[in-house]
Amino acid sequence: MISVKNLHKTFNNLAGPVEVLKGIDIEIDQGEKVVVIGPSGSGKSTFLRCLNLLETPTSGEIWFDGQQINVPGVDIDKVRSHMGMVFQHFNLFPHLTVRENITLAPTLLKLQTKEEANANAERLLTRIGLLDKIESYPSQISGGQKQRIAIVRALAMNPKVMLFDEPTSALDPEMVGEVLEVMKELAEEGMTMVVVTHEMGFAREVGTRVVFVDEGVIKEENTPAEFFDHPQNPRLQDFLSKVL
Amino acid sequence: MWDYLSQHIYDDFILKDRYMYLVKGLGNTLLITVGALLIGVLLGVLIALVRIAYNNGVKSPVMRVLNAFCGLYLTVIRGTPMVVQLMIMYFAIWKSGRPVPVAIVSFGINSGAYVAEVIRSGIQSVDRGQTEAGRSLGLSAKDTMIRIILPQAFKNVAPAIFNEFIALLKETSVAGYVGIQDLTKGGDIIRSQTYDAFPPLIAVALIYLVMVIGLTSILGVIERRMAKSDLR
Repeated sequence: MISVKNLHKTFNNLAGPVEVLKGIDIEIDQGEKVVVIGPSGSGKSTFLRCLNLLETPTSGEIWFDGQQINVPGVDIDKVRSHMGMVFQHFNLFPHLTVRENITLAPTLLKLQTKEEANANAERLLTRIGLLDKIESYPSQISGGQKQRIAIVRALAMNPKVMLFDEPTSALDPEMVGEVLEVMKELAEEGMTMVVVTHEMGFAREVGTRVVFVDEGVIKEENTPAEFFDHPQNPRLQDFLSKVL
Repeated sequence: MWDYLSQHIYDDFILKDRYMYLVKGLGNTLLITVGALLIGVLLGVLIALVRIAYNNGVKSPVMRVLNAFCGLYLTVIRGTPMVVQLMIMYFAIWKSGRPVPVAIVSFGINSGAYVAEVIRSGIQSVDRGQTEAGRSLGLSAKDTMIRIILPQAFKNVAPAIFNEFIALLKETSVAGYVGIQDLTKGGDIIRSQTYDAFPPLIAVALIYLVMVIGLTSILGVIERRMAKSDLR
């Protein structure tokens, strides 16, 4: 479903060029839940943001659904409408109600009528138990509620894959659980997911594959059990000993 | 004392319907202000978008020319007095124009320069994550700008934009330089007919003051309405 070939990304900062990704190759199949972990600055978020071209790769290929998407002439808006993304800082639209946050994109892109989008929003909100917040503004709800609604906003587009960029890192500890719970349900329904996170418990329980990114390359990837119980790479062993 | 004062007021405003100078003047002042406002906001948003797109790395040859033109426009308009711009427009550039339309265009062009910088700061004040969220949902850059960024930008800069409106309203008082009978000129005509300066000019000042107070209270209403999404 997603195929990444020799992905490089260099940022040109004031201090000079910084190579963040130094050749990433990965294949992600339909229904997989790939969890990406790694130390800060390792490039894992940049990797995720390259998948829907929020960052433009310096070189390499990104394929989605049999089509290379980082070449000129690709309708990137269309591609992105099939890839949901959830951000660390939620990025709900503060000037719109929860209902408008969820229905804006499907109606504006004429994928759903207003009635369909509304019904869809109500159904999704009911599922996460937040139907009573439908007319609230983002400033009136908690961080955990915001992130669950951000997930629902992405789901309202009926995406083929969901990308999560540290979805629980900005949350109070007591709110992490409710967000992970929604993600877990999503995984059980068969959604293809790529999750950048520091939640090792989630990686072990929900992931079908765990990927360790460090210094801009994939240092190790394996099933959760092998990954956590028998790490091979010394850098990963060191990392796990600090976070587990 | 009272008789003396009421005699002056009668001569200045009632006699020969002289108050009509103020009424007609006010009409022209409002016409120029509102017209210039519309041009200014439109121009300001367009210029702000060009400059932001350019700064964000859209650097095609057309954009380079546009951006350079916008930079020149901002420098010239903000670097020269409004009344000089108005006179250049009326006496040198658009000689055959009727004074009021010329003034509307001229004040609009002037206002656009200030509005552009206000809008630009407003757009830049909106978190990058908002653009990313919009684009990640599949919205085009244009839709993201119109539906997500601009509403938040306008809210952030509403007080500054209103200050610009108020400044524009008062600035139109130089319209008399090109033969327009605006509010200020109206008061001045009464003064020249009655040789009595105090009542007509005070009346003019009061009318401006009342309008500015009105605009300020409208701003209060708008800000409260926009703060709806801030309620906790």
